[in-house]
Amino acid sequence: MNRDLRTTIFTVAALVICILLQSTILGRIAIRGVRPDLAMLVLVFVSVRRGPMVGQVSGFASGFLEDLMNVSPLGFHSLLRTVIGYLFGLLSRNVFIDPFLMPIILAVVATLLKGLLSGVVSALFGIASSGFITFTGRIWIEMGYNGIVAPFLFALLNLFKVFKQADKEGA
Amino acid sequence: MPGLFEGFFARHRKGATLAALVLVSLVCLMVSNRTVVIRPKEIGLSVAGFFQRGVTGVFRWFGDTAGSIGQLRAAREELATANARLEEMDQATREAIELRRQNAALKEQLDFAQTLPPEHIAAEVVARDTDNLFSTLTVNKGSRQGVKKGMPVVAWQGDIEGLVGKVVLVGPGSSQVLPLYDPQCIVSARVDTTRDEGLVSGQGRDRGSIVMNYVKKIAKDKIGYGDLVVTSGLGGVYPKGINIGRIREISAPAYETSLVLQVQPIIDFDRLEYLFLIAQEAEAVPEAVSPPPPPKAGSVSPGAGAPRPAVPPSTPPKADLGPSQ
Repeated sequence: MNRDLRTTIFTVAALVICILLQSTILGRIAIRGVRPDLAMLVLVFVSVRRGPMVGQVSGFASGFLEDLMNVSPLGFHSLLRTVIGYLFGLLSRNVFIDPFLMPIILAVVATLLKGLLSGVVSALFGIASSGFITFTGRIWIEMGYNGIVAPFLFALLNLFKVFKQADKEGA
Repeated sequence: MPGLFEGFFARHRKGATLAALVLVSLVCLMVSNRTVVIRPKEIGLSVAGFFQRGVTGVFRWFGDTAGSIGQLRAAREELATANARLEEMDQATREAIELRRQNAALKEQLDFAQTLPPEHIAAEVVARDTDNLFSTLTVNKGSRQGVKKGMPVVAWQGDIEGLVGKVVLVGPGSSQVLPLYDPQCIVSARVDTTRDEGLVSGQGRDRGSIVMNYVKKIAKDKIGYGDLVVTSGLGGVYPKGINIGRIREISAPAYETSLVLQVQPIIDFDRLEYLFLIAQEAEAVPEAVSPPPPPKAGSVSPGAGAPRPAVPPSTPPKADLGPSQ
């Protein structure tokens, strides 16, 4: 099986697990109802490691599943995750993920990007999401939460061979 | 010509894939946002609900097993307390029977219409929205158990009934509830003491505060901090008299023709475990008539008898107390 395909399948499976955890037990550690976005962090990690193709396809597939589970309109999360996966994939082979600082920076930037994109999509399509439209308190809480979780999550993901850095033709 | 396309896609594989995926997402958004696509979401909700119930169940099992030892000890103490309370309740029951008899006689004299108490469907919260952008709750009851879209949802916390929201999406085995603090959830309400009406809606960003608009400015002097806000029953979505919250801030902006009341919800949304979905077929219970007792978790309560417990008066936190403007 093609390595990119294998990575994509593995990533989507990991993202589905993250989404299930987010909607269930992570609610217990929520701060003012805000939980860390594990799925987005996994997507960012995989995209930076394996390039835009794996990032965008995994992002689309997991986002589509998320849309089916949520009250959000179909296509909302798939669009967000596709773009995030693609953009972070462009950093592939240009960014070295150190154990501490880079995961935090990537998590912070990804959360801000998600906030910006969701705001634009919500405004364009008239979607009344209660989240980040006006960049209110929730996005800052999530940004901090993601920043704290990212180094640990990235360290865990580093253990999996399937997420190893893309070779030149694989990206 | 085909060769030209093949060459183009070979050179721009990543860009073309991105364009295709974005296009698919946009088409889905456009179609879904006009509520043309219904079935995929319902199917998705059912499948997701199955796995979410599984994950919640596994973690709950571990938690329950670990906690059962402590619970056993606590249960012994509770048993002793319960026996003592049982004796008190025996006495109270005898008094209640007498009061009910008197109540029935008085109702007959006042010529009240006979109304059926609404039926409650008990449901457990198995998941919340996967993302922080939306704020729905997923419960483990669906159309198979009689849940219908638009059903009002209440919960009991500390013997107090409070409004949670309404059902917005129903799958066969699970449903999604839009909570009160979501901006899309709008409830026709009134201030219990002054009977002034308005609309309560969420603000999204803070689940600990909702806002009541369209209350006439003339009522400013009559409304006070800590006053209870209840559903008005207008619009037919929510039954009359369900507790919503307590007023914690009153403002009268000069540019508005009505008051803006910040309301602290009765329900703590972070502690929600069990909800009760109110069947719409039953007639709304007028406030003068006894509403149902607090239903037990996991059971369907026909609801009859004791009145809704009064909400204890609460003083809003000092930090939230701003002077009336």
